Amino acid sequence: MNAPFFKFGLFNDEVSLIVAVVIGIGFGFFLERAGFGSARKLAAQFYFTDMTVLKVMFTAIVTAMLGVYFLSVLGFVDLSLVYLTPTNLMPQVVGGLLLGFGFVIGGYCPGTSCVSAATGRTDGWVYLGGIVAGILVFGEAFPLIETFYNSTPMGQLTLAQLTGIPYGILVFAVVVMAIGAFMAADWGEKVMAAKKGGKA
Amino acid sequence: MKQLLLNSTLNQRLAAVALVLGALAVVAGDPYQGHSATIDAKELSIIVQKEVDHVSPLELADWIIKGRADYRLIDLRAEKEFAAYAIPGAENVPVATLTDHGLMKNEKIVLCSEGGIHSAQAWMLLRSLGHSGVYILRGGVEGWNDEVLFPTLADNADAATRIEFAKTAEVSKYFGGSPRTGGGPVAATRPVIAAPKLDTPAGTVPAAGAKKKKKEGC
Amino acid sequence: MNPYLAGIGLGLVLLAAFVIMGRGLGASGAFSTLVSVGVAKVAPEHASGNAFYGQYLASESNPFKDWLVFEVIGVFVGGFLSGVLAGRIKRSTEKGPSISVRSRLTFAFLGGGLMGFGAKLARGCTSGQALTGGALLNVGSWAFMMCVFAGAYALAYVMRRQWQ
Repeated sequence: MNAPFFKFGLFNDEVSLIVAVVIGIGFGFFLERAGFGSARKLAAQFYFTDMTVLKVMFTAIVTAMLGVYFLSVLGFVDLSLVYLTPTNLMPQVVGGLLLGFGFVIGGYCPGTSCVSAATGRTDGWVYLGGIVAGILVFGEAFPLIETFYNSTPMGQLTLAQLTGIPYGILVFAVVVMAIGAFMAADWGEKVMAAKKGGKA
Repeated sequence: MKQLLLNSTLNQRLAAVALVLGALAVVAGDPYQGHSATIDAKELSIIVQKEVDHVSPLELADWIIKGRADYRLIDLRAEKEFAAYAIPGAENVPVATLTDHGLMKNEKIVLCSEGGIHSAQAWMLLRSLGHSGVYILRGGVEGWNDEVLFPTLADNADAATRIEFAKTAEVSKYFGGSPRTGGGPVAATRPVIAAPKLDTPAGTVPAAGAKKKKKEGC
Repeated sequence: MNPYLAGIGLGLVLLAAFVIMGRGLGASGAFSTLVSVGVAKVAPEHASGNAFYGQYLASESNPFKDWLVFEVIGVFVGGFLSGVLAGRIKRSTEKGPSISVRSRLTFAFLGGGLMGFGAKLARGCTSGQALTGGALLNVGSWAFMMCVFAGAYALAYVMRRQWQ
């Protein structure tokens, strides 16, 4: 079999847009199921009282990572055709920090704010307005920051290429790390709950 | 063992599955298949014998005129030669950089070199790396010169050949070449290769190399 | 819902995007298209002279006929469906007990703005970088992900009144 299907021309652009809606529905559905329509639930991650964000995010990463890894090794997916966003380290570090600030101040990320807005949260809609404003500012400032935006280019780069450690070993390491993080998260939640209970 | 399975929670079972799959990954190999190559010798030898992987210069000329954009024309010659003259839409990729050039396995790739040797070698290389749609421009840039830019009509050609040649002459002029009728030995009269310094004919040919570049990131 | 099951569901959706489309998920890209089209409507010359807007307007026909735009429409629909099924649709504002609605909305706007700016600088948001790139072991995505958590935890103490 030849996958990714779209890259082998199994269907055209129009059909790909239908696929987009279906995949988006799945994405939105599970985000809402996880409770990510609520800013309080999302923000609780940063106060160690509810580590759902970490659990859901890393479970999703591990699931997709294992899936795409084994499908590639078995020859079902040509991984070189799966788009890998090029790395520009410094802008991504700074962008990540800004995004983290925005996350704890606003309570959402772009995907979850859509779900929050769809379930009727006013703050979700306002947050979306903020995103639009932020992108507009970025667009207007783009000529000034273009040099920084394109700085430290490293091309399409995987951790395996960077470190020289075989891809499979890194996959295993991520799984172990994730499970370790989940255990730590469960323990952290218990400690915080006990603390709160003790106070009350 | 069974008892352990029954007593475990759903989360523990999920973690166990993930750990087993993760451990398997340690020995399962590289998903990108890297630079190592495998070939199906039988399949390749049949392709070579049947010459289905060849594209004639006139065929290519036809594609360019029609503005087809479903292929990439890869010119394997050195930069200097490429700068002197290149077939419209060609991308210059010296052989040594071929594997780093980001050619996709699902792309239709037409290789051209000075004659045909580098193309043939690069063809083998790409086929063995799993590229399925690799073609060779027959005769390379020399073949392009002889058949498209400076086609020659022999004095003793019959009527059918002459009609055919008239079409070829049109194509030749389109690319800024000069068809020649009659004349002595071909080699003596052929102009220097650098003669038609031609950019893509204005407006008519979309740059074949610049395929639809759609952003795929977030 | 068990967060691990929700995570597996999310991971399978992402895997489907890899296998079917050869790309990952995204969210902020759709809003970039929205902004670019808006700017192009108001000031066409200004937009065409700007490389950032240009990349979202490059599409030969309609800029909205874009994969991410349709995907985000799906996210709204999917979120709404799940909300209806769980009875979680209600007009409300998410906030901690000790902050007014007005301040909460101001913070939401401010946070959204930082997020929009940061996501564009980082070439993607939590969906496009952290999830997608995370699963592909993309170097930039992992660096990005660590920085998101670092940034959020660094500011968490300052923002505690909003949430607790």
